[in-house]
Amino acid sequence: MRTALTLAWRYLNGRRLRSFLTSLAVIFGVMIIFSLNSLLPTITATFDASVKAAAGAVDLEVTGKTDQTFSTDVLQKVRRTEGVDVATGVLQQAIPLPPKAPTGTISLTGVDPLPYSQIHPPRVLSGRFLVPSDGNAMVIGEGLAKSAGLGPGDTFAIPSATGSIRFKIVGVISAPAIGTEQVWVPLKAAQAMLSQGGLINVIDASYVPNANHDEIARMVSLKLGPRYKIGGIAGASQLFANLQTAQAAFDFFGFMALAMGGFIIFNSFRTIVSERRRDIGMLRAIGASRGTVIGIIGIESFLQGALGTGLGLVAGYFITVGMLAGLAPIYETYLHMSVGPPIFTAGNFILTISLGLGVTLVGGLYPAITASRISPLDALRPNMADVDTATYTRRGIIGAVMGAVALALFLARSPSLATLGAFLFLIGLIVAAPALVRPIATVFGRAFTLLFASEGEVARANMARQPGRAAVTASAMMIGLGVIVAMLGLVTSIFAGFFGYLDKSLGADYLLIPQNIVLASGNVGAGPQLTSEIQKTPGVGTVSTLRIASAQMNGKDIEVLGIDPKTYPQVSGLQFSGGNANTAYADLAGGRSLIVNAITASTYNVKVGDVVTLATAEGDKKYRAVAVGNDYLTAKLSTVYISQDKLKEDFHVSSDVLLMANRRPGADAATVQKSLEKVVKQFPAFKLYTAGSWRAEQSATFGATMFLFYGLVAVLAAPSLLALLNTLAMSVLERTREIGMLRAVGSTRRQIRRMVLAESLLLSAAGTGFGLLAGLLLGYALTEATASIYPIAYYFPYSGIVTAIAVGLLSGVVASIIPARSAARLDIIQALQYE
Amino acid sequence: MTPETRTAAAESVGAAIIEGQGLTRIYGAGESAVTALDDVDISVAPGEYSAVMGPSGCGKSTLLHLLGGLDRPTSGSVLFEGHDIAALDDAHLTELRRRRMGFVFQFFNLIPVLSSTENAALPLVLDGVSPEKAAQRANEWLERFGLGDRLRNRPDQLSGGQQQRVALARALVAEPALILADEPTGNLDSKSAEDIAELLKQVASEFGRSVVMVTHDARTAAHADRVLLMKDGRIVDTVQGAGEHSAEEAAELVKRIDRL
Repeated sequence: MRTALTLAWRYLNGRRLRSFLTSLAVIFGVMIIFSLNSLLPTITATFDASVKAAAGAVDLEVTGKTDQTFSTDVLQKVRRTEGVDVATGVLQQAIPLPPKAPTGTISLTGVDPLPYSQIHPPRVLSGRFLVPSDGNAMVIGEGLAKSAGLGPGDTFAIPSATGSIRFKIVGVISAPAIGTEQVWVPLKAAQAMLSQGGLINVIDASYVPNANHDEIARMVSLKLGPRYKIGGIAGASQLFANLQTAQAAFDFFGFMALAMGGFIIFNSFRTIVSERRRDIGMLRAIGASRGTVIGIIGIESFLQGALGTGLGLVAGYFITVGMLAGLAPIYETYLHMSVGPPIFTAGNFILTISLGLGVTLVGGLYPAITASRISPLDALRPNMADVDTATYTRRGIIGAVMGAVALALFLARSPSLATLGAFLFLIGLIVAAPALVRPIATVFGRAFTLLFASEGEVARANMARQPGRAAVTASAMMIGLGVIVAMLGLVTSIFAGFFGYLDKSLGADYLLIPQNIVLASGNVGAGPQLTSEIQKTPGVGTVSTLRIASAQMNGKDIEVLGIDPKTYPQVSGLQFSGGNANTAYADLAGGRSLIVNAITASTYNVKVGDVVTLATAEGDKKYRAVAVGNDYLTAKLSTVYISQDKLKEDFHVSSDVLLMANRRPGADAATVQKSLEKVVKQFPAFKLYTAGSWRAEQSATFGATMFLFYGLVAVLAAPSLLALLNTLAMSVLERTREIGMLRAVGSTRRQIRRMVLAESLLLSAAGTGFGLLAGLLLGYALTEATASIYPIAYYFPYSGIVTAIAVGLLSGVVASIIPARSAARLDIIQALQYE
Repeated sequence: MTPETRTAAAESVGAAIIEGQGLTRIYGAGESAVTALDDVDISVAPGEYSAVMGPSGCGKSTLLHLLGGLDRPTSGSVLFEGHDIAALDDAHLTELRRRRMGFVFQFFNLIPVLSSTENAALPLVLDGVSPEKAAQRANEWLERFGLGDRLRNRPDQLSGGQQQRVALARALVAEPALILADEPTGNLDSKSAEDIAELLKQVASEFGRSVVMVTHDARTAAHADRVLLMKDGRIVDTVQGAGEHSAEEAAELVKRIDRL
């Protein structure tokens, strides 16, 4: 054991550059996984702490399961529950402010002053808290007071359904921020402003001393029924879900990076084993058992993994601390939260360390077993680099069979089979790679001979000499680039599909959309005034609106859009993939009918003619599905469309979140737009778009997403580059003596450099070629799979191909720089004596 | 020599350390089959120094591999201290090599990242002896071979002759009964070759080990107690040397080989 350790350590130390390069890939993967798994919990904890601080002395919180508003009857039921001391109803809503306002979004809380201050005793900093006699009075949090320079006596305007409403500030209180600035107004004022007369959406309650918390919660739950959520603070749950999704996505990329690290380790150790064939044979001859040989190689790969993991943890730590330091001011300024110290959980350490070490051990296992099979006779034979042609042929055949099965799966035209086929194809390529190296080297080699003359020929021969190693490098690049091309293919198709909906479904000339996110909860709606003002505007033809509520279908959240069946088809219109467009709108107008979008149809398996149950604010209601239709806005959300009449009846929603208007034929576009702008000015929560400007803004958003995506591409491309660099460095080291010979017989340094560059380009070209092939298939399969949820067509990712080729060839050039230099600089005499 | 090995050696006096009976080794099959070794009988007595000579491809290396248990005969058997090694599995064969045999190779085959002491101590360490004790015993052998001032050097800091002496110390450190040397002087200058041949002789005469050496150098072979001449997979002649090598003997050997 000690000897094995000494041996491993000395071998690694003897080839420091290679050891480091091999470890680098592990460092990279570990760094990503570790830093993300500490960064996100830290941010989550920051939010959590703020949310808890804001909750005050609340023992019980009741909200609608679908975030619906509800009547004060519910409050009475809670009050009458034994053990409840005080209960108060609140109407809470996030409201986006117009661009020039002191903050982006405020959280408006309509309260009943007396019971509310019993449960949330306000710490008044100046002025006073609200009293029952207040009208349009407002209390603001200290954060907003500071940042906007507001205080008692000032006024604050809030955009509402009925235009802008001015509130008089009567006090400033100390308030822990929960991401947005908070303001408090009397409940009645809030209800009027939000067109939610007599309704509330949150009940806070505190208990009598020594109450049985679980029992009371159970009682309340029993009284209120299934449409209400009882319990703690779930306000930021959506945020947490988003954070978790982000973490999973980044973990995936970290894992891909680590998997490539495993490939690199595998490649390194295979070279190490073939380099040390004679050493190992000697050890076997003088009495080392197979186990000892496995132990020596195993310990060496373990050391390498430990080194990579250790350095990766350190790098990850600094990245976490650095990013938190960078984020803290942003959080302070925009979210009014102080970011705590980084959180490094034991789980994170265990996950990262076991992944880092696990990948290296797995990567080193096969080479170690190969090493243990080396016969003692190898110590006595002169060194021979034998290419096991039979094995490669066998692998070629297996790979070809897998490829054929993959293609057959593709022809089956089932999305899941196609995806399976794509992965099978990828694995088949990896299996067959060694057999493909020679033909590929020959084909590319011809082209390279034109470019590089005789150096290209030498490079081709060198690559074909070690098909196994070339294949592993090419496979590592293939996976990296394949995933890139596949994802770009999928993303391009999705984006193209969305724009297709956008162009087909958005017939309106003008759109009025709330400042913030489309179709997310928390948008303030517009009352009838805005719609009627738009309708009155000269030159404006049909106006139709969208209204939104959330419901539950089969226990899962779903968006409910209310449309006017008469006007909606004139300004917009759904792309129908089931049912009949002619009758669908008429059915909607007729009663409890709904149109489902494609995601809903596939997720809940709803077919035209089915009757589904929606959990509404009025309890469970049965709706009949009359059609399957899609539009741009809802393409990625589970949505059903019902008539606005039913939305009001069952969901109590009558405010518009989106207005669409057509221009009358013959009206002057500029004049109409000017008049509309004048109207919208009174409703600062809304922004006016023309069809063209809306499309441009969407395309800019997509552009930003693509940019982020390219960042991820870089994350995946980096390990491919390392694999290439590693292989080349090994290849140069291994051929030191040969290079010395070439120099001795008259090759110039430049020729040596070109030879290494040519080999690098050959390897990367092979990897890129494989990657493109695998990526296109995988992308196609993923798009088909996606298309089974909502119909999008496959778009050929030209940009992805260009990117992959550029990344691949650039990697080839960059990776060759260091090895080419060191090869060219070799001292001839020392190189000739190199053992 | 430790007391145990001395007893073992005493017990086996008269009996052969290693004996090959009807050794045949055929590589390949069918039309491309090559008979590397053809029904060879060989017996090596304790403390005997034998050299195997012959032209390339005569089967001398194959014979050495079979004796060392590195390869298995197509037919025939190898008896080591009276036991058939064909019956041993890989683990027991490995243990036998570790404890009872020592190997010397043409290319020294030292581990480049280990010092002279560490290289020489390897067989003991592999056998579970503590590194300190193994190093101590390795150093005894290294000093005996005149490497007392080279203990901490790595192979690349040693001359070819010094490297081969480290390899010889490694072969002897576990006190084996048999030393198998495959062209031990093939990669050395004539002065170093002479030294190594002389040391091997010493190993046999002074330390009582049996030595089987394969070589194609008559001057090296002339140091041996007897020289087995091989051709086409058979032993065709045996020269009993006086053990005193001389120019005449070497010349005589060369003549005999030329006649083969």
